[in-house]
Amino acid sequence: MKKSFIFPILFMILITAFFTAILAFLNYSTADVIAFNQETELRKTILYVFNIEIPSNKPEEIEEVFNEYIREEVINGKKVFVAENEDNIIGYAFPISGTGLWGTVEGYAAVSKDYDELLGIDFISHSETPGLGGRISEEWFKEQFRGLKLNDDSGNYIIYKPAPGGNVDAIAGATLTSKSVSKFINENIHEFIKENKGGR
Amino acid sequence: MSGDSPKKIFIMGLWKDNPVFRQIIGICSSLAVTNFMINSLIMGLGLTFATAFSELTISIIRKFTPKHIRMMVQVLIISVYVIMIDIFLKAYYPEMSKALGPYVGLIITNCIIMGRCEAYAQKNPPLSSFLDGIASGAGYTLVLLAISFVRELLGFGTVFGFKVLGDWWTNWTIMIMPPGAFFVLAVVIWIARSISLEDKKKEKEVAKA
Repeated sequence: MKKSFIFPILFMILITAFFTAILAFLNYSTADVIAFNQETELRKTILYVFNIEIPSNKPEEIEEVFNEYIREEVINGKKVFVAENEDNIIGYAFPISGTGLWGTVEGYAAVSKDYDELLGIDFISHSETPGLGGRISEEWFKEQFRGLKLNDDSGNYIIYKPAPGGNVDAIAGATLTSKSVSKFINENIHEFIKENKGGR
Repeated sequence: MSGDSPKKIFIMGLWKDNPVFRQIIGICSSLAVTNFMINSLIMGLGLTFATAFSELTISIIRKFTPKHIRMMVQVLIISVYVIMIDIFLKAYYPEMSKALGPYVGLIITNCIIMGRCEAYAQKNPPLSSFLDGIASGAGYTLVLLAISFVRELLGFGTVFGFKVLGDWWTNWTIMIMPPGAFFVLAVVIWIARSISLEDKKKEKEVAKA
């Protein structure tokens, strides 16, 4: 092949345009599916923190149940999910986040409408050690938070056993993750209650 | 050039020239995604797909590609296939996409693909190149599965998520953490190399006789 200056540039432009077009088409045709998947994930989390049962794992049915019970509201500039059962408010769900041992932990928490009971928590992302701190996303750990009373004014809602007044089991072998998780959950809930309880 | 026979290509990719334990490339990802067997399998399939189709494409256009920009072309083609995998997983296997996290995107920088494209696809016809990609990918996948089998079994007592060891088993947490991968990978390389050393001795003896 003879060495020219123009040919490699043209070649590169053409081949880039060709492959980019393929990817653009793929991206365009799957964008809706991907967005829907992400929404389904969020819906599952919200329904879980309110302890509303999901009939099956089908995305359409999850959407149906979600629309029946939950509506979104903006309170004090923050997006909050409100659960209602035939016009009776069940409670409010809001995002929680903080640092774990290795990185950011994100999730949702739900409180009852009188702000005196924790309905549930769920984590949507974390980077804790699998098998140790990673067990925060296991069912037995999350279920412990259901129905905790939130009437401590200083914001110490979650206390690990066997400390006096303890109400939740920490994860054995993951002391640091357990501690940081309880810390940011306490702080986030306390802040949410302070911001909203007076105003409503 | 007519290309190598499929049998030779597979022997090279799976054993004699195995990317992980002979060429010691693709190590990062074999340490990162081997805590569960299912993660290793999907990662392996993804890499096999990307390698095979990148090699095929590069081999088809190898005669028109100006030699001094071939690396740019290779990287472009590899990225295209890897992004395809990423989009596919996000759309149809969101759970898997979440579990593998950033490692799918990092297939682009996996030395195995670049290495095979440069070393093989650049000089060989399309079909052989495609098979070479599958063989190298399969070699990589097998090593990953071997490592993750040991890690998952000792670390969780499970194989592909199914419980095989009873409650008496105490999980070795170190196996799930990154250091466990180093130990197991080293042992796998050690075993594989000792076996292939014996192969070579035998070959020599046969040649002498």
